[in-house]
Amino acid sequence: MIPMDNHGKQYGNPYLAGILLGMTLLLSFLILGAGLGASAGLARIAAFLEGVLFPDHTLSSQYFGAWGKTPLSYYLVYMFCGIFVGGFFSAFSNGRMQLKVEKGKKSSVGRRFLWALVGGILVGFASRLAGGCTSGQALTGGALLLTGSLVFLICIFFGGYGVAYFFRRQWHD
Amino acid sequence: MIKTFYGLETLDSTGALFAALLIGFFFGLALERAGFGSSRRLAGVFYFRDMAVVKVMFTALITAALGVAFVEQIGLIDAASQIYHMPSYYGAYIIAGLIFGVGFVMSGWCPGTAAVGLASGKLDALIFLVGGVIGSVFFNELFPLIKWLQTWGQSSQSSFGIPGLAFIYTSLGITKAGFLLLFSLIAVGFFWGSELIERRKIVDKEKTDPINHQTLQTVSAGIIIAALALFIFSGEKMPLEATRSTDSSGAVTTETFLQQIETAEDHVAPETLAELLYGGDVGVVAVDVRPPEEFTAFHIRGAVNVVLSELPRFVQEHKHKKMLVLYSNGMTHPAQARDELFRRGYRNVYILTDGLIGFREECLKPVSLRSLPTTPEKAAQIRAWRDYFLAVPPLTQAAAAPVDESITLPGLVTTDWLSGNMLKLKIKIIDCRDQNEYNRAHITGAVAISCESFRGAVNGVPSVLLPASLLAEKMSLLNIARGDTVVLVYSGDRLRDATLIGMAFERIGHNRYGILAGGMDKWVKEQLPTSSLLPKAGQADYPMPPTADAFTVDWRQTDDHMKQNTAVILDVRPPAYFSGEKSDEARAGHIPGALNREYKNDIYTAEGFSSFKPLLELTKAYAELIPSKNSLVVVHCRTGHQASQTFFVLKHLLGYKRVKWYDAGWTEWAARIELPIETGSPALNTNR
Repeated sequence: MIPMDNHGKQYGNPYLAGILLGMTLLLSFLILGAGLGASAGLARIAAFLEGVLFPDHTLSSQYFGAWGKTPLSYYLVYMFCGIFVGGFFSAFSNGRMQLKVEKGKKSSVGRRFLWALVGGILVGFASRLAGGCTSGQALTGGALLLTGSLVFLICIFFGGYGVAYFFRRQWHD
Repeated sequence: MIKTFYGLETLDSTGALFAALLIGFFFGLALERAGFGSSRRLAGVFYFRDMAVVKVMFTALITAALGVAFVEQIGLIDAASQIYHMPSYYGAYIIAGLIFGVGFVMSGWCPGTAAVGLASGKLDALIFLVGGVIGSVFFNELFPLIKWLQTWGQSSQSSFGIPGLAFIYTSLGITKAGFLLLFSLIAVGFFWGSELIERRKIVDKEKTDPINHQTLQTVSAGIIIAALALFIFSGEKMPLEATRSTDSSGAVTTETFLQQIETAEDHVAPETLAELLYGGDVGVVAVDVRPPEEFTAFHIRGAVNVVLSELPRFVQEHKHKKMLVLYSNGMTHPAQARDELFRRGYRNVYILTDGLIGFREECLKPVSLRSLPTTPEKAAQIRAWRDYFLAVPPLTQAAAAPVDESITLPGLVTTDWLSGNMLKLKIKIIDCRDQNEYNRAHITGAVAISCESFRGAVNGVPSVLLPASLLAEKMSLLNIARGDTVVLVYSGDRLRDATLIGMAFERIGHNRYGILAGGMDKWVKEQLPTSSLLPKAGQADYPMPPTADAFTVDWRQTDDHMKQNTAVILDVRPPAYFSGEKSDEARAGHIPGALNREYKNDIYTAEGFSSFKPLLELTKAYAELIPSKNSLVVVHCRTGHQASQTFFVLKHLLGYKRVKWYDAGWTEWAARIELPIETGSPALNTNR
């Protein structure tokens, strides 16, 4: 059962996509010596933006300050750009490009944006606390069989299922 | 053996950035193909509507986990040294995971999928990413308050010599291959469960796609067969004490490896080791792998004690040494450890033939007790070795002096702190001013020594820091024991005298040293107590430290960094010497590509004393020169003296993590005419 998107071709088989993802991760281990990561790139962009607005404050802050004056010259920032380009390429070539806001019919655009923003803040914060997100911590560390990463993965599902009920209207038609 | 960018410490090179971009491309491609450019599909997993997240995540996890285990098994890579592993902080990860999960179901995104979502035109992904930036900034702003939380609940496991690095199979008490098999079965179970769940939720059963099922069957079978194969073949490997907790697979036996064993090239004869150590070869480190009690009772002079479980980390840190010679009483443990380290790609590890027993028999047994006659030359050599190797007094456990945990050492200490704690903490004070200044008045109890006493000619290079064994002897004479808190006192703007002695402490691995901010001038100005009497005589037994340090680089390493552009080379001499207008050396100029910031720019003088400039000012100045706190930096000057000051600033005041010291400096570089030089002012005006 492959869900059909309203536009473009149907998505690829999830198992094959998973193998492609796993192979990419393996390649990353063998070439970079480090796994995949997305939130670090985002955090580096945050450090860059804060640095543009408040250069002295950012540089002297304990966390962002350690990344120096050019936080963007970091491999995970490049990887983040790569994700964007790869996603664009795949969406474009499969005809899945469409400017839209995804939501259930009963939800308003304003509410959807509000939850996306608040969720983003929580995810951005939690990723820094865990030193990675679903990619950099759960997937990468999980593939290396690290206990902490698997604990993190399990807790993501606990957190998600725990509150899923309250957000159901956002998604259901 | 594969060497990764991480293993080579070149993750910041252009090649690594390009590779990351390319890997990111495939990552994005895989996510988009999986349908993760849709937040509804991602959130669907939390309503049992669309289980793609579980399917993709677990297929990827198991593919990569089996892949890593396989490449390790065939000896393609040494994961311990070549792949970055994160330590486990359970408290932090549990809290972060719960928060993350809530954010995930609220927004329908995580950072990677949102990038793909934005790339395919989803506006809610853009909003999520803005939120992610704000969340990161929140974390940065709250960091001073929640710093402790980030490392809360560290695992008690320790693997690859890294505390807190925990493997799930060790946590569960099963073998790695066993866990992989179990994990594969769980994943396959999840896949079939997900299919069942989805079928129930979707009313229109016509939608069921038979191809999907066929793929699922193939994938399931493939995963289980691969895990079974790994499980069966992993049985060949011998467990090794040093790596029992890591269980790194290593069934590889290369031809060279066997040949080396056959021809005993992996062995070092006792006489050879004695000669090398006696000759003061700093490239050779004798590594005693016996328990600390036995080491304390007796060890080869200059040897370092490394327990087997710490060996991988030690070897990684000393991979640039010429020879690491492992020894125990016999040869079994060192031989096993050496074989494992060889498989992991270390080619500088050797074992001592016949171990410590053989060493005593061959090198230290008195001539009079030997059954075979010895030549006069041989007898003289044995006497010299006996004098050298047996002169070491057995280590005594230094009476632990009390320690103030509230200050960070190495670092700066204030006059207030020193005057308040010097008696309470039994602080040892070293006065590195001129002797006549010392004779007139010094801080009560301080001993006088010039920083020049800690260096001399080594291998023909004048004025380099002495080997650790000699430094330890000096510390003994200064009545400094291991674990003592030491404060260094300078006069005027000669902070570099204190930092040079600081390098001596660095080399012997003595971290509890600080520099008195403002020096003697500030102490006198504040009318704190002084004396003109000599301190009570005393002598300590400073134990023999490792002969090697991890921060000194030689011209070869500097040359490599220059050629490969893998480090910021920072020349701290005055600009006129940097440009080549002035010179006291064989050649004028500087190392090609080096940056210049004179050491004096880090100091200010006001109110009658000198100290380091405010941290913020230093932070900004060095951020102009060095890309990040993780960048590799090589500091040098003419003789290592001025550079010791910049080393202290970067490493201990500003927290740069990878600072190296080219001690021999321009004196050596200029005199080695095969090395390239450059003249003229730097393109970048760095002396502001």
